[in-house]
Amino acid sequence: MSTTIDPPVATTAPPVQHTGRFGAVLNAVAPFAKIGMIVGGVLSVLGAFLPWVTFVLNEGAYPERASLNMFVEPFGVSGFRLHITLLGIAAIVIALLTVPAKHRIVRGLGIGVAAVALLNGIWITVEGGGLGAITAADGTIAFGAIVALIGGLVTVLAATSGGLEARPEWEWELPWWVEWILLLVIFALVLLLVAEVLTSGGQGGVVNPYAGVVFLSLLAALSGALSALSASGLLTWVGVVSERHRVFSVVVLLLCALALPFTGAGTEYWMTVASNIGVYAATAIGLNIVVGLAGLLDLGYVAFLGIGAFTAANLSGAAASAVGIHLPFLLVMVISAVVAGIFGAIVGSPTLRVRGDYLAIVTLAFGEIFVRSAQNNIAGLTGGANAIPNIPPVGVGGFQFNDSITIGALRLPSGVMYYVAIVLLVAFVMLVFGNLKNSRLGRAWIAIREDEDAASAMGIRTGPIKILAFLIGAMLAGLAGAFFAHKTAVVAYDSFRFLESVTLLAAVILGGMGTIPGAVLGASILFVLPEKLREFADYRLLLFGLALILIMRFRPQGIIADKHRKAELADDDPEDVAREGPGALPTEVK
Amino acid sequence: MAFLEVRDLVVAYGAIQAVRGVSFDVEQGQIVSLIGSNGAGKTTTLRTLSGLLRPVSGTISFDGEQIQKQPAHSILSRGMAHSPEGRRLFARMTVEENLRLGAYTRKDEEGIAKDMQRVYDLFPVLGERRGNKAGLFSGGEQQMLAIGRALMSRPKLLMLDEPSMGLSPIMTQLIFDTVKELRSEGTTVLLVEQNALAALGLSDRAYVIDLGRTTLSGTGHELLADPRVQEAYLGEGVGAE
Ligand SMILES: Nc1ncnc2c1ncn2[C@@H]1O[C@H](COP(=O)(O)OP(=O)(O)OP(=O)(O)O)[C@@H](O)[C@H]1O
Ligand SMILES: [Mg+2]
Repeated sequence: MSTTIDPPVATTAPPVQHTGRFGAVLNAVAPFAKIGMIVGGVLSVLGAFLPWVTFVLNEGAYPERASLNMFVEPFGVSGFRLHITLLGIAAIVIALLTVPAKHRIVRGLGIGVAAVALLNGIWITVEGGGLGAITAADGTIAFGAIVALIGGLVTVLAATSGGLEARPEWEWELPWWVEWILLLVIFALVLLLVAEVLTSGGQGGVVNPYAGVVFLSLLAALSGALSALSASGLLTWVGVVSERHRVFSVVVLLLCALALPFTGAGTEYWMTVASNIGVYAATAIGLNIVVGLAGLLDLGYVAFLGIGAFTAANLSGAAASAVGIHLPFLLVMVISAVVAGIFGAIVGSPTLRVRGDYLAIVTLAFGEIFVRSAQNNIAGLTGGANAIPNIPPVGVGGFQFNDSITIGALRLPSGVMYYVAIVLLVAFVMLVFGNLKNSRLGRAWIAIREDEDAASAMGIRTGPIKILAFLIGAMLAGLAGAFFAHKTAVVAYDSFRFLESVTLLAAVILGGMGTIPGAVLGASILFVLPEKLREFADYRLLLFGLALILIMRFRPQGIIADKHRKAELADDDPEDVAREGPGALPTEVK
Repeated sequence: MAFLEVRDLVVAYGAIQAVRGVSFDVEQGQIVSLIGSNGAGKTTTLRTLSGLLRPVSGTISFDGEQIQKQPAHSILSRGMAHSPEGRRLFARMTVEENLRLGAYTRKDEEGIAKDMQRVYDLFPVLGERRGNKAGLFSGGEQQMLAIGRALMSRPKLLMLDEPSMGLSPIMTQLIFDTVKELRSEGTTVLLVEQNALAALGLSDRAYVIDLGRTTLSGTGHELLADPRVQEAYLGEGVGAE
C-alpha cells in the first residue's frame, strides 16, 4: 500500500480529504470506511466471545461475573464482555444504517471497545504475571483481549477515515407531557446507572481486588456509549429539552438523587461513600468559583473544608473539643461557613498584589500552614495527632441522623439521613453557584478571568471582587466541612493535606471548569476511585496524573465544557474548529 | 477651565519614567488627538487618565473635578471611557456579552438596552452577529466592538487608543467617520494615533508627545502644515504602512 500514498486518482477520490499527521493513512483507508467499521465491529464481538484468560482467575466477582462464565449471568451489567458485545453490535448496526453523524458515532463506540479491552487486557496480564495470560500458555489459548482491542482500533480507524461529521442539532419539539415523561424516564435511567456505577465491582479492599478494574471497565464502556450518544446530538437535545422544562428537570433530578437509597446502593456502606462524595462535590463547586469562574489558582483550598470541620467539631460538644459548648447543627453550619469565609478573605487578599503563579504559591503556603498548625494542635483547637474524636451525630428531637429508618416494611440503612442532608446541601451549593454565575458578580469574575486589565477598564473593581470569590468559595467549603465533621464523627488534620487540594483541583479540571455538573462529576470519579482501588492506594497519584494528562490531551475543556472555554480549547476536532473558529484575537500589527 | 485639563503629568513604571511632563486641554464636543512615535508615552497617558495607573505628580481635572487620585471605576462612572490599545476584547464572549460588560457600572436595564441598540445601529455588522464570539471577528469588526463596548458606559469623553492599528485604509476611514459621527452627537473624543495624517485631518486640536513630553500643539490643520511635524510624523513611512 505504501506506493498509493500519492494523491489518489480522481475517480476513486474519497469524499473527505484528510490532512495532518495520519492524513495519508486515513485517505488510504477511506474507500473502505464502511466495510472497515463492520469488520471492526465483528472483530469486537468475536473478541468478546473468545476466551480471555489462560489461567483460572478463581476468586471474586471479576472472573465469575465477567470473564470466565459470561453466560451464568449474561445481563450482569458489570460484565465487560457483555459491554464489548453490545458496543460491537451497535457499531455494526449503525455502520449499515443511514444516520446523521454516523462515523462520529461509530468512532465513539470503537473507542469504548478499545478502552475496555485494553483495560481488562492489562489487568489480566498483570494478574497472570505476563503476556502469556492473554495469549497462550499451558496449552490453553485466549486471544479475546487482543482480538477485541484490534476490533476497537479498526473501528476507530475506519470511522475516522470516513470523515467525522459535525454533531447534528435536533430541533424536535414534542407535546409538553411527552417531554416530561421522556425526561422522567431518562433521569430515572440515570439514577439506576449511577447506582450501578457506584456499586459496580463492590466494595474495594483486600478481599475484593477486582473492585477497581470492574468499576473502571464500566466507566470505559459508559464513556464509549456516551461519546456515541453525544456524537448523535441526542445528548445536546436532551439538554435543550430539560432546559425547556427547567424547574421540572431540577425537581425530578433532586428527587432522583433522593431516591438513591431505594436502589442497589441503599446500604450503609454505599450511603457513606455517597455522602463523602457529596462533601467533596460541594467543596469542588466552591473551588470552582475561585478557579473556574474567577480564574484564580488555589492550591490550598481543602484548608477551608478543614477550617469548617474543626469549627464544627469544637461547637459540637465533643469531649475533646476546646470550646465546651454544643450549638444546634444549623447554627454550627452558619458559624463554620463564616469562619472559613473570613480565612478565605485573608488568603484572598494577596490577590490584590500578586497574580498567576505567585498567587498559587501563596495559597499553597496557606494550605501547608493550616495542616502544620492543625497537626500541632494549635490553641488546643484541633486535637493534633489525636484528632477530635466522638463528635456526636446530628440529632433532631430524639432522632439521630445515623439511625436507620423503618417506613412500614421498608427498612432504610443507617446513614440515609446524612445522605439526604448532603443531597440538600449540594443542591443548595449548586443553587448558589448557578445564581452567582449568571449574576453581575459572576460576569465580573468571568471578565477578570478572561482579561483582568480589560475588566478594570470596564469599571470592575477587580480587587474586592477577587477577594469575594475567595470568601464565597471558602464559605461553601466551610459548610461542607461542618457536615463532614458530624458525618465522620472524627476530624483529623490529615484529611486536609495537599493531596486533597490537588484532588479537588483535578476534579474541577477533569469535570470541566466553570460548570456545575462538571465539578460534581469530577468529584464523584476522583473520590470513588480510591474507594474502589484501595489496594492501589500507593498508585493513586499516578492514576490521577495519567487521567489528567489524557483529559488535557483529548478533551482539554473537561468532560462537561463551559461555553466560554470551549471556543478557545476545541482545537482537536476539525469540525469544532470549523464551527467555533480559531477563537483567538489576531495579533497586533504595527 | 477646559472639560479635561491635564497638567505636568509624570508617570513611572518603577524607576522608568514613561511620561515626564504631559499637559493638554480637551474642550467639550471636540476631537483631540495625541500623536507621537512608538514609546512616546501616549498609552501610558491614557491609562493614567482612566485610573489604571497612578501618576507620580501632576493633575488631571475632568468636568471640574480633580481625578488623578480616583480609582478606575469611579472615573468611568464620571463619564470617561477608555477603549484600550490592542482592543482587549473578551475574545471568548459574544458581542452582546462584551457590550453588557461595557455597561457594567450601570444599572438602568432600559437605558442599557437602548444604548446596545444604538451600537448596533452604528455598526450593523455587530447587530447581525450579536451572538457570535468576539474572537472570531475580523480586526475591523473587533475595533467596532471595542468602540461600541466603550460607548456602553454612555461616556461624556471617549478615549480611543490607536483604533486604526492593523486596519486597512478603508476600514480606518470607516472608523474615523464613526468618530466624527460621535462628535456630532455630542461625545468628546480623545484620540491616540500613530496614523498622524488621518488623525490630524479630523482633529479640532492635536498635541505631539515626544519622549514623554508634550512638545507641540495646534489645530489639526496647523500641525499638518507644520514642517517639524511633517518631517517627524508625516515623512516617507506614512501611508506606505
Ligand atoms: N508595563 C510597563 N512596564 C515598564 N515600562 C513600560 C510599561 N509599559 C510601557 N513601558 C514603557 O513606557 C514607555 C512609553 O510606553 P507607551 O506604551 O506609553 O508608549 P506609546 O506612546 O503608547 O507607544 P506605541 O505608539 O508604541 O503604542 C516605553 O518606553 C515603554 O517601554
Ligand atoms: Mg501605545
